[in-house]
Amino acid sequence: MKLHRLLAIFFLLILPALPQAAQTLTPMLDQPLAPDFELTDVDGKKHRLADYRGRVVIVNFWATWCPPCREEMPSMQRAWERLQSDGVVMLGINVGEDEEKLFTFTADYPVDFPLLLDRDSTVISQWPVKALPTTFIIDAEGRIAYRAIGGREWDDPALLVPVRSLQRGVLRP
Amino acid sequence: MLLALALLGFATTAAAASPVTRHEIDADTGLESWRVEAEGFSLELVQRLPDQTRAFFQGRGFDAVLADEIARGCVFQTIAGNTAAAPDAPVIALDLAEWRIDSGQGQRPLMLEHDWQREWERRGADPAARIAFRWALYPTRQEFHPGDYNWGMTTYGVLPGSVFDLHIVWRRGDELRQYVLKGLRCAQDIDGN
Repeated sequence: MKLHRLLAIFFLLILPALPQAAQTLTPMLDQPLAPDFELTDVDGKKHRLADYRGRVVIVNFWATWCPPCREEMPSMQRAWERLQSDGVVMLGINVGEDEEKLFTFTADYPVDFPLLLDRDSTVISQWPVKALPTTFIIDAEGRIAYRAIGGREWDDPALLVPVRSLQRGVLRP
Repeated sequence: MLLALALLGFATTAAAASPVTRHEIDADTGLESWRVEAEGFSLELVQRLPDQTRAFFQGRGFDAVLADEIARGCVFQTIAGNTAAAPDAPVIALDLAEWRIDSGQGQRPLMLEHDWQREWERRGADPAARIAFRWALYPTRQEFHPGDYNWGMTTYGVLPGSVFDLHIVWRRGDELRQYVLKGLRCAQDIDGN
């Protein structure tokens, strides 16, 4: 068995219970403009945030070694399966790692939404992020509407209400 | 399965309700953990084995010497957050620069991220390793709205196996809270030291 698998198993054994926190998103009262970026995903495709203007975008900063990032990833995938038909965009921005690490990770945690590489942490340093994971909900005008520090169960219907509400605003004539 | 060893209550600032604390030993790994919960503030400190920390940082670009220095600096996996159920509950704020450890030789501050980064700068540590370090360590200052929490490592600058009291400070809205968590123990190294 490879070393990283052994470490992962060991890590799970000592994984403390997550705090029983509320499933909420924090509204950003000042709704700052989200810093633009252009990053490449694991398949080599470029993604520029500004190109998604007019749609609601979920931006998740994460790393493979971060326990709550791993914990929330399956629920992000389930949320993505529910939201993509509504036109919502989901982008996972990995911080400081390479394609190989992500390929290994996605073998255990398969996801369909784009995983982008911020290898030298240039992008994350321009965003109001202090810890991983941190997730932002960007509205159709490119402003940060909500923020979540720490993992969430993203497929919790209550958590998706504000996201869907923003997206309905986009679709409304 | 975790084995609850004790439920302890300690005094904190006068206006605040007493925190509930818990000390546990993991039956599988033998690692000890300490938990403090008070009015929406939740903190858990879990021992990290020095070898576990060495492997983590060597896997992210630190050489063996630097990884060993981190590992032997007493590292705890730290989970803190705001567990309040009400969305309009007070914000919890932490500034680790206000925390103090007391191992019987007077109080002193923790080893914080900027302390380590200064050292990595001086010694020319690999930039990619420094990025991993930045995000693996617990942020020095952070605010938690209800539902927010964060994981990261905190380092204390004492040897493996050391026992110390930790003076914890946090803010709940505008109110200062503090608490002394007694008898924290750093994990032993593989050589028993």
